[in-house]
Amino acid sequence: MRIMGIGGGAREHAIAWKLGLSDHKPEIFWIAENRNPGIHKICRDNQGELRTGRTTDAKTIVRSARGWGIDMVVVGPEEPGFHGIPDALEKEGIHCIGATQELSVIERSKADLRRLQWENNLPGKLLFRTFKNAREASDYIRKNIESQPWLQNIVIKPARQSGGKGVKLIEDRQVYLHDEKERFKEAYFDSLQASMAAYSDIEDKILVEEKAWGPEYSLQCFTDGKTVLGTPLVQDNKSAHEFDSGPETGGMGSISGPDMTLPFITREEYDKSLKIVEGIVESIQKKTGKSYHGMVGGQMMLTENEGPTVIEMYSRLGDPEALNMLAMLKTDIIDIFQAIVERQLSKLKLEFTSEDAVVVKVVAPNGYPEKRDKAKGHPVQVLETNIKRNGCYLFWGNADLHEDGQVITGGSRLLALMGTDHTLPPASARIEKTMSSVQLADGWGLYHRSDIGSQQLLAKRQDVAERVRPLYTYREEHGILGSRMGWVPRVGRIDPSHLMLQETHGPEKA
Amino acid sequence: MPGLIGFYTFGEGRENWDASQFIHYGLSALQGRGQESISLATIGPGNTLHTLGGKGGVEEFFQKNKTTLPKGFIGIGQTSSYEDDYLVHVKTPYELALALDGKTDLHENRGEATKLFARQLSQLLHSEKEPLKATSMLINKIGGGYSFVALTHKQELIAGRNPLGVKPLETGSVGFDIAAVASETCALDVMGIDHTGPVETGEVIIHTPEDIRGNTPANSPSSFCSYEYVYLARLDSNVHTLPIAKIRNSIGKEMAKAHPVKADVVIGVPETALPIANGYSQESGIPEEFGFMRTGENIRAALKPTQKERLLGVQLKLNPIKSAIKGKDIVLVDDSVVRGNTLQNTVFNLKRNGAQRIHVRIGSPALVSPCPYGVEIPPRDELVSGNLNEKELANTVGADSISFMTIEELQHAIGLPRQNLCMRCFEKGAGTQ
Ligand SMILES: Nc1ncnc2c1ncn2[C@@H]1O[C@H](COP(=O)(O)OP(=O)(O)O)[C@@H](O)[C@H]1O
Ligand SMILES: [Mg+2]
Repeated sequence: MRIMGIGGGAREHAIAWKLGLSDHKPEIFWIAENRNPGIHKICRDNQGELRTGRTTDAKTIVRSARGWGIDMVVVGPEEPGFHGIPDALEKEGIHCIGATQELSVIERSKADLRRLQWENNLPGKLLFRTFKNAREASDYIRKNIESQPWLQNIVIKPARQSGGKGVKLIEDRQVYLHDEKERFKEAYFDSLQASMAAYSDIEDKILVEEKAWGPEYSLQCFTDGKTVLGTPLVQDNKSAHEFDSGPETGGMGSISGPDMTLPFITREEYDKSLKIVEGIVESIQKKTGKSYHGMVGGQMMLTENEGPTVIEMYSRLGDPEALNMLAMLKTDIIDIFQAIVERQLSKLKLEFTSEDAVVVKVVAPNGYPEKRDKAKGHPVQVLETNIKRNGCYLFWGNADLHEDGQVITGGSRLLALMGTDHTLPPASARIEKTMSSVQLADGWGLYHRSDIGSQQLLAKRQDVAERVRPLYTYREEHGILGSRMGWVPRVGRIDPSHLMLQETHGPEKA
Repeated sequence: MPGLIGFYTFGEGRENWDASQFIHYGLSALQGRGQESISLATIGPGNTLHTLGGKGGVEEFFQKNKTTLPKGFIGIGQTSSYEDDYLVHVKTPYELALALDGKTDLHENRGEATKLFARQLSQLLHSEKEPLKATSMLINKIGGGYSFVALTHKQELIAGRNPLGVKPLETGSVGFDIAAVASETCALDVMGIDHTGPVETGEVIIHTPEDIRGNTPANSPSSFCSYEYVYLARLDSNVHTLPIAKIRNSIGKEMAKAHPVKADVVIGVPETALPIANGYSQESGIPEEFGFMRTGENIRAALKPTQKERLLGVQLKLNPIKSAIKGKDIVLVDDSVVRGNTLQNTVFNLKRNGAQRIHVRIGSPALVSPCPYGVEIPPRDELVSGNLNEKELANTVGADSISFMTIEELQHAIGLPRQNLCMRCFEKGAGTQ
């Protein structure tokens, strides 16, 4: 059997690793934008090869797949899906594990995802508004901030995935700092408008949604369109620096286990989260009339108004969350992929280890994420035997293997180290012990988050969970889960969630 | 005693933040540490460092300078209980502004000592390639007890606490855009920033446009200022992970156990002693009453520089509520006695309004020595407890009994090992370096 993977990050390295462990003994081929040293080696050891090329270019991908005589393709990142790579492959009769273009809209457009949730009145949604331009956003907020108090605490996002534009979280809870916050919001609207101008395919450019708070976690799933199988919860850490400070990154490391849930999420919350993901898969299939087969994930948060809530959807596995999940997975990955292809997932039972907790820590060059040009181009030195001796695993990320054997940083997250143990803190400590095995030969600095998996950070997560859980269970008990009632003098009792349902749904159903 | 703020921003659009407004409200929350002199420094686009300083209080300063406040998206601020005590601006060789709480041992005079420290930091940052290493070297070399924040022309915000760790410093962050440091967690709360933990003793944290980096502090014995726990820090703060409110309550309970007395009511001297009185009442079972009403804003009389201002503070602060006092035996709880005048004033006031017996209970040991780290405890010849014993003091102020906490009791109430608490102001024969 010949398998081809797409993508060159740590997530793809981990997928390749599991493919290499499969009893089906597949020959492994790969296309990535960088020569990922880990994937390169796995391909070579399994009678295949890694070729560099544009992973969003259907022609290149299809040509390679045909040239290599590939039976099945697995897509790692989201971009190939957004560009219709799975569609192109399937048109050629090549099986593909990965959401097709139309279905991957649940990730590509955060605005469309919210609309889908409200149109179908699914649980776990957030209030939102979209705007065509900065002016419209500013005016709307200024005009309605008193009658719709949720507009004070908002998250501003590009309405569709757009080159590196991040999200801004703005809580405007101190009236004495209101002017500062307002100015910042409006300036960011302007800058979003400027960078979104290039996209003429959508009208709405700016998404504003309710700012929630609570512990975050990802639920990654496999689906064949009929069945959605959940995997262990993983928590990623988005802030660049210790204790959740600093700029947003793609993820600095993640924790999972030793069970299907996390120490601060209940089994019941897991089940509700899975239902939410199922609901979204079902709704998008209904809307597009297409079958979703591949990976899907909910990046979730436990929130006061809704309980388990979707922050965004993944049309793929998370990076780095995939590493945790795959490390815990006992079922042969090719059995899963085959069941997806044959739409037989309901017959498969996924098995995961219940003995090990898994910690993943990402290592990035100084400069990431804000000054990537500075983070790029440094030679990497890794003592792999040292890492193994400490019982840890290395997954290469944004790294490039040159002809002379030297690995060079690409400017983004360089690699991830993974450690396992019976509980999270010792797994974290294991990685810390071997951290010095990774260095840059030219003396440029690397950083990682030592707090991930530590008892201290776990306690902090637990604390947040324990503050938010009683709030949403109170709502559940009072039959008002999902409502956002408030009293506005002279306006009376308001419920913005009810208004939103009417708008997206028509008044009769709301 | 100064209160410090450091405010830092990241990410796209950071130039749209106005640091001065965050510093304004952060300093407001720290004015319990004194507000005679206010100063701030910010950096805006173009990397020019602007500073401004002037007479307090915090609100007056920011009102008066509304239009001339230095604009910038990162900055530091200081509110100080000393007159003419501003952050230091060093222009060469490495331009920086520095605000310091506590005192380095580079000079007798706190202000001079701070200037010398800032100059040495500037030198080191200039000659050393690695700012983190340079700053940790400095705090390990220069003695005293201090915390500081510094802002450099390269958009670095440096926060540090010397290994002794006498003075507090806490960190916080919110969203992906803002990080901050402050002397007390209450200032982070007021700025709408989540507390992330203390700056460890001997730790240096540097914020740059690219990252936040910290050294790994050496495991040296630390010595936290016990006066912070008793009096200086605000009730809604945590100082080095310990919640102040809980400690003040324990102090009251500890006092009730160790220094019991028969009485009708417990009355605390506003504001700082109220939670201590509360603890005393809970433990002793004697009901607590509001004994005084305050006129005007909350001022810390003991921190005022002149005797007249101190008395003015007390008199405005403490109008007795007659019905709570008349004919009663009273446990009067205060947090500390410095010169004794305000206590005398208070006791006299209560008796004149019909109080029967007054038993004074002080929620800290007698202050007998000045502070080597710059807390404004006056010279020994001004300290009433340095010169009179409890009985003499009771007679002088007109109380029926007076007792102070012992050092051991205070240590027990705070709950830290003795060697990790600085109690030099409570120890005779100490107080010089
Ligand atoms: N509505 C929200 N409320 C609170 N936090 C949010 C919200 N939306 C996003 N975030 C925070 O911002 C991070 C990034 O947002 P996300 O929508 O996942 O965008 P990205 O495409 O950058 O991953 C999330 O992981 C979460 O921490
Ligand atoms: Mg995300």
